[in-house]
This record gives sequence, structure tokens and C-alpha cells, in this order.
Amino acid sequence: MKRLFFFLAIVALASLSLIWPPGLNFFHCKPDLLLIFMVALVFYTDFRDALIFGVLAGLFKDIFLPWNLAINTICFSIWSYLIYRLSHQITIEEDYVRVAIVLVVALLNNLVIGLESVAIGNAISVGIFLRNLIIVSVYTAALSPLIFKLTKKISA
Amino acid sequence: MFKLPRKTLINSAIVLAALLLVTNFLSCFKTPALKLTQPHLSLIEILKRETFGLLHYHRNMLMVEKLQTEVKLLRLRLFDLREFSLENSRLKKLLSFKQKASLRFVPGRVIGRSVDSWSSSLIIDKGKYQGIKSGMVVICPEGLVGSIIETNMDTSKVLLINDPNQGVSGIVQRSRQEGLVSGTLGTNLIMRYLPDEADIVPGDVIVTSELSQIYPKGLLVGRVVNVGREFSGLNRYAMVKPTANLANIEEVLVIIP
Repeated sequence: MKRLFFFLAIVALASLSLIWPPGLNFFHCKPDLLLIFMVALVFYTDFRDALIFGVLAGLFKDIFLPWNLAINTICFSIWSYLIYRLSHQITIEEDYVRVAIVLVVALLNNLVIGLESVAIGNAISVGIFLRNLIIVSVYTAALSPLIFKLTKKISA
Repeated sequence: MFKLPRKTLINSAIVLAALLLVTNFLSCFKTPALKLTQPHLSLIEILKRETFGLLHYHRNMLMVEKLQTEVKLLRLRLFDLREFSLENSRLKKLLSFKQKASLRFVPGRVIGRSVDSWSSSLIIDKGKYQGIKSGMVVICPEGLVGSIIETNMDTSKVLLINDPNQGVSGIVQRSRQEGLVSGTLGTNLIMRYLPDEADIVPGDVIVTSELSQIYPKGLLVGRVVNVGREFSGLNRYAMVKPTANLANIEEVLVIIP
């Protein structure tokens, strides 16, 4: 049952990302809700479920993107594993630590996607690259406590 | 810090191999996922439209009155223009000019937007059932919007002109100077490969050129806001503000060739 709710949460968050109102965009940037959910899964469930649903979240994100490269699917699984390893090394019980982890993961994820976009020859100005890197990551981290609450409720 | 045991390494390799397999077959997952989300995305869109309709009832009422007056005036103008059009086609026939085929449209409603900030795309509620195919051009009354890159049974994905992967062969309407218009992910587009002596100034209108294989000639792209010199110093570029409001677009027209 819990797994069904995780799946439904992914569908709901993907849909919310698709219909995210332009009025809630911050400097033309929207938060990465699926990435927050992927990080939250590592905090609130066992590693196997976190990895499976993290990959599923990445897959859902890739499906709705215009390119055919499953970069988020690969990245999300790597971030899931690294956060899981990190959780054995440091205490991640405090909320601010969790938000900081989301910020770092969002920065890394955006950096990978941005560099991949530049590598395939897209002309992205430095300003827009930094905007997508920093503002999206900060916005994502700022919204993370809400998704954490949702994930906590589902996993409880 | 990250000391990996042998078993973990093997497991990671298996997971990575599975992921690479998923990556290869990404397109297989697209149709079921879109089928899963399309009904409730459409429902949300309808609910949103109805709610806004109720909230803005008075404003809409005044707007309807204003638009009805405008429609009456435009009908009169259309009647005049129809006469001109008939006269034009008669004269063209006399001069043996090649007749330009009139465009057919399929209207579509936007039911989803790009999920991240690194791409600029839309999902519309029209697909293969309505005759939409990949490569078709999408416009709105204000100008060019983009092109179809993917179609499913009831939905299609539109790559907007402000996506960096999108390129449109454009021409300055006044001076007939050609260049390549591509997206920047920002609010403006960039027109590149303009020669040093290019006759282009802020305010110039950019339309699609006949060199484009996909886009019909003469579609309005945008207006030049700024002209500059490229870093190499060999070419110039122009920043173009698209006439279509790509951030808030709700309805589009797909051109059926």
C-alpha cells in the first residue's frame, strides 16, 4: 500500500511540475519537486525503496523532457546511493541538514544537466546558466520541507 | 569516507547496467506515462479555466462586449479583404504565378509545460488521432511558437522557439537580411550568423524565411531589441523578442501542411 502511495505521489508531483503556474516561477525558474521527493525517500524509507522510487521519479522527469536522454534517471539513482552512504557518515536528523543536502544535490543535478546541455552544443549564456543553477537549486531547497512532510506522512 | 566493499560494487554495476537499459528504451515508457497523466492534466486545466471564468466574470463580460464590437468591425474588413484576395488570385492567375496553398490548422490547448528550467517545451491535448505528426509547426495568433517533436495518441510535445535546441531560419522583413534564430532559455531569442554589414536595427521585424525546410515562409517570429557583435568579431548577432508570449501561452494552432 505504501508503495502504491509513493507511486501516486510521483505521478502527482510530476503533474504538478507540468502545470506549475507561471505566477509561482521565481526569475522564470521552477522548483524540482521530483528531486526533493527522491532525496526525501532516502531519509524516510529503506534504501531499496528509495532507490527504486528515486529511479522512477527520474524516469518520470525524463519522460516529460524534450530530449531522449535519461540523464535524470541515472543521476537520481547516483544521488540516492550517495545520500544513503552519506547518511551513515553524518547525522541527518536536523531539518536544516536535510535542506542543505537537497540544496547540494539540486546544485549538482543542475550542474550535470547544464554541462550536458552545453556539451551537446547549445548556446546558453553564463547568466542563464547561473540562474538555472543557483536560483532553481535555492528554490528547490526552499520548498523541500513541504515535500519532506508529504513523504514522512506516506512512509509513516 | 566512501570505502566501497566488493558486493556493493557488483550491486552498483548491476543497477547501472539496468539504468543504461532503461535509458536505451526511454521512448517505450513515454506513451504509458503520458496516458497516465493526460486525463487528470486535462481535468485540472478545465477546472482552472472554469474557476478563473467565475472569478473574472465581470471582467469577461466587459471584454465580451468589447470583442463583439471588434468582431463586427473585423467582419467588415474581412469582407473587403476577401474582395482583394479574389482580385489578387485572378491577377496572379493572369500572370501565371504559382498559387500559395492556404494553411490548415488544428487548435490545441496547453495541458503541460516543461518540468525543468533547462528546456522549454509544452504538452498539448492533440495527437495522432487529430492528424498531428512530428515536425509540424505550431503558432498562435501573435506569431511562431515552435514545432512538434513527439506525438502520442491524444497528446503532443512542442519544442518552443526559446529552447536552445530549436533553430529557425529567419529574415529581417525590411532589409531581407537572413540569419539563424535560436532559443536562449531566456525571454529573448538570438539571431546569429549576421554579416558585419548586415542591415538590421532595433525594432526590425523578423519572419521565417523560405530557406526553412519546416517553417512556412512569412510567419512572424519577433522584433529586434538589441544588436551586438559576436565574441569572434566576425559576425553580428541580434536579440529578438518573440511576439508570442511563450511563458503564458494557453492555446496554440498546429499547421497541417
